[in-house]
Amino acid sequence: MINELLLQFGHWLEAQQYSQMLVAGYYSYSWLEATHVLTLMVSIGSLFIIDFRMLGWVMPNVPASIIAARLHKPMMVGFAIMFITGALLVYAKPVETIQSLWFRMKMILLLLAFINAWIFNNRLKGAEGNWDNDPVAPKALRTGAIISLVLWCGVVTLGRYIPYDWVDCTNTTNTAILWAAGCVDQLNAL
Amino acid sequence: MLGSILSQYARTLSVFAALLVIVLVEVLGIREAIYPGLEGFFNWMNQSSWLGVLGTTYGSVYATVEAVHLLSMAVLGGAVLVTDLRLLGVIFRDIPSETLVTGTHKCFRWALLMAILTGIFCAAGVANKVYFMEVFWIKMLVLFAGSCFMLFIKQPFLTSRPHAEIDPWMIRLLAITSMLTWFTVAATGRWIGFS
Repeated sequence: MINELLLQFGHWLEAQQYSQMLVAGYYSYSWLEATHVLTLMVSIGSLFIIDFRMLGWVMPNVPASIIAARLHKPMMVGFAIMFITGALLVYAKPVETIQSLWFRMKMILLLLAFINAWIFNNRLKGAEGNWDNDPVAPKALRTGAIISLVLWCGVVTLGRYIPYDWVDCTNTTNTAILWAAGCVDQLNAL
Repeated sequence: MLGSILSQYARTLSVFAALLVIVLVEVLGIREAIYPGLEGFFNWMNQSSWLGVLGTTYGSVYATVEAVHLLSMAVLGGAVLVTDLRLLGVIFRDIPSETLVTGTHKCFRWALLMAILTGIFCAAGVANKVYFMEVFWIKMLVLFAGSCFMLFIKQPFLTSRPHAEIDPWMIRLLAITSMLTWFTVAATGRWIGFS
């Protein structure tokens, strides 16, 4: 049911004039993709520096809370650009993206990464004490940092897989993959 | 006298010598003479080297290494941004810039090493294509110049004395050069994917 609704939504988006213009433009899609990828250096670059500091890998002599607070703004600006360009990339190729197994897995990891970030922030605010100047953060924050690193590595890797067609609807007959990727037509044809 | 000056600026002079060699290679037409000879090496990299065979045979391995390359570039970008935005006085104004310059350099070096190693694998997988791409050679040149700039000019200079003793415009110039260089490396890398 949800797959049918998503596919209908994808077809509706694909019929939009601006969606077609984004794909048809010689450079527009490439520029969007380039901006999406290059902004990684700001968003994930800043996030990883915060996580590395929690683990004591970089700048152990700088208070961890200062690093997290000062990098918050550039990181959020980076993520905002990534989400806008990411949404436009989906808008440009909605059916293809909605039926991508990698895209769906990426969205799940993104959701988990945001839940982890929310928990991490709450723990950071709640972990007041004299640990701030310690080279390594308390265990709860270190765990949050490791989970964050793993999830974001997964998000980037799955994002990199999206252009590849190994498990596209037309390239597989595995029912589980077809269902997970939302290949409605191929499932109906089986 | 001359010896003491040369020893004091040995690294800077080495980088200028390397850049001079690059200019001479271009001006004297040496690059044009060498370029056709490299085609065989690039074909070997793609079709016969185990890196190329692995990359062209297993698409999933290639894509995963590409992701590691991207992640390395993200970490490199993070380290560069933290340092350079501090040098420009945009963020971390309450932390001494000397602390950030030394604190992020290890991270930068590891990220650069990972980016280069994964980049070699990625290039091997499409070596017969990148050989003909102008943007690939521009990236290699900027990557070489940027690495030399960071390892032999910017870092030694900024760790040689307190930043209060350095002309603020020199510090800003170093930061802007660094950011532009690494942005160019990342942007040309992305452009290789489109070409």
